[in-house]
Amino acid sequence: MGKTAIVKIMERAAGKPVKVGDRVWCKIDWSTARDFGGANCVLQFEKEMGADAKVWDPDKIAFTFDLQAPSHSEKVSTNQKIIREFAKKQGIKRVFDINNGIGQHVMLEAGMIKPGDVVLGTDSHMNLLGGVGAFATGVGNSDIAASWINGTNWFRVPETMKIEVTGKFQKGVCMRDLLTHIVGDLGAGGMDFLAVEFTGETIDNSTLADRITLCSMVTEMSGKVPIIMPNGEVLKWLVERAGPEVENRVKELSADPDAEYCKVIKYDVTNLEPLASCPDAPDNVKPVREVAGTAVDQVHIGSCSNGRFEDIKAAYDVLIAGGGKVSPKVRTIITPSTTEVQLACAKAGMIEKFLEAGIVFTNPTCALCTAEHYGALPSGDVGCSTTNRNFIGKVGKGSHTYLMSPMSAMATAVKGVITDPRDILG
Amino acid sequence: MSEILKGRAWVFGDDVDTDLIYHNKYLAETDPKNMPQYAFEYYPGKEHFAKEVKPGDFVVAGKNFGCGSSREHAVYCLKYAGIPVVLAETCSRIYYRNAINNGYPVLFVKGISDAIKQGKINDGDQLEVELSTGTIKDVTSGHEFHGDAVSDLENDIMQAGGLMEYLKAQAAAKK
Repeated sequence: MGKTAIVKIMERAAGKPVKVGDRVWCKIDWSTARDFGGANCVLQFEKEMGADAKVWDPDKIAFTFDLQAPSHSEKVSTNQKIIREFAKKQGIKRVFDINNGIGQHVMLEAGMIKPGDVVLGTDSHMNLLGGVGAFATGVGNSDIAASWINGTNWFRVPETMKIEVTGKFQKGVCMRDLLTHIVGDLGAGGMDFLAVEFTGETIDNSTLADRITLCSMVTEMSGKVPIIMPNGEVLKWLVERAGPEVENRVKELSADPDAEYCKVIKYDVTNLEPLASCPDAPDNVKPVREVAGTAVDQVHIGSCSNGRFEDIKAAYDVLIAGGGKVSPKVRTIITPSTTEVQLACAKAGMIEKFLEAGIVFTNPTCALCTAEHYGALPSGDVGCSTTNRNFIGKVGKGSHTYLMSPMSAMATAVKGVITDPRDILG
Repeated sequence: MSEILKGRAWVFGDDVDTDLIYHNKYLAETDPKNMPQYAFEYYPGKEHFAKEVKPGDFVVAGKNFGCGSSREHAVYCLKYAGIPVVLAETCSRIYYRNAINNGYPVLFVKGISDAIKQGKINDGDQLEVELSTGTIKDVTSGHEFHGDAVSDLENDIMQAGGLMEYLKAQAAAKK
């Protein structure tokens, strides 16, 4: 039997042969923390190791301020300051302050991430970096602080599930809808402790933005790491950013044709329709058509799952097709994932149109992933969002959220009630 | 010696996410000792948990406990409330790591998700838990359950008191 990509990546990181179920110590390529969790890592490291202790390698640590950028409270400002001062003292140069955007996206754009890299971060959606073949997973502050001691951490070598996707999306349907379908199909614990490789023609032909979407929500099935080995345009983009080593990694770490998977699942997207995760769980999935007409108070487009340029452009096209105005009954907010994305939106002339449409276009940040940032919902309000979680009370006690694609979200903003984007796009 | 822990059960369902255990509203907190006051504040019907929980009580849950965020707050808020162990059918990988890394035991208990749904284990039931054997007795209902043992490495990290302590001990042993 051949090896999966995960086994090859872990053998590289562990420096020895491994098999599924083994507990191994792996070398960490990037150990990162955000404004949330970051101060906890710093305080824990200094408490356990002493105020003068040095991290193992300041060039393999990064901090990203994204959950609450700019800070909304003195407490968060203090946490951010704790991180800045620690970074300065330790000689950690990669501090992506409040003007950058969502950490994983920023690190990708900065060319820091290569296929096979082992990346830890205090963001449970670290695994979207699997969209370029990295072994990236979200961990708590103890994992990060401990990895700063000697640059290693422990892992169980996971079983790998393979998901093969074929077919072309119909107009108004996109990767987010496939993902919602998978979350509904497998459930909140459907990938617990597993790695997952996405393959097939639909994946081969997909954009980086789509791969990020797909990988980000593996967390919502409790998966450990998703992997899509870069090819085509994505590979070209990554080589431009992260250098020629990327191609060697892809050759070295791609799964063998006879690799062993614990499960193979096939999806055909040809007849897929727009879907929504209904209140109050990502796996409570229904066709948008079925919940159409539900009144909403706020629409939010953005997040690490759907905040790329392509996502915002897809929403823009629905806005223009729908007459260029959002319903005055709905508060509509768009949040790009990074400053680079924000600039691209500006250069494409989209921001002007969004503002004229009555939309709030914000700085890059995680925004409506918490109840502690702008856009928090009051009790009784209904939101539509392209974020990845709609747990009970997540963005405000007593509020309820439908998760959907950027196209469905914008169609809803235009009409003021939940709307299938095909009703606007034709 | 096999110590038997005794306490009351607080019973939860499947897929209890980290926002229900410890809401994102309180993420800026950095002192673990301040975290128990927010435990389960957003869990419908368990809003009184933080006020009424007593050291020695148990958290009992179904499948995929602690799914969602990487926040270690969701472990600290139970550990520092004096809950000696979480008893769940399974917990999400992210919660499992955070628990082990803090030397905090989570027992995977076969059949407990169904038992919760069937009313075989309820809020306030008196439990007796023997960690060394994984035996759980519900004294109130008379039902008995069994938890799985963890692997050697996880057990070593737990015994050391957590990941940082484990690594420090390893480094000291090398010197």
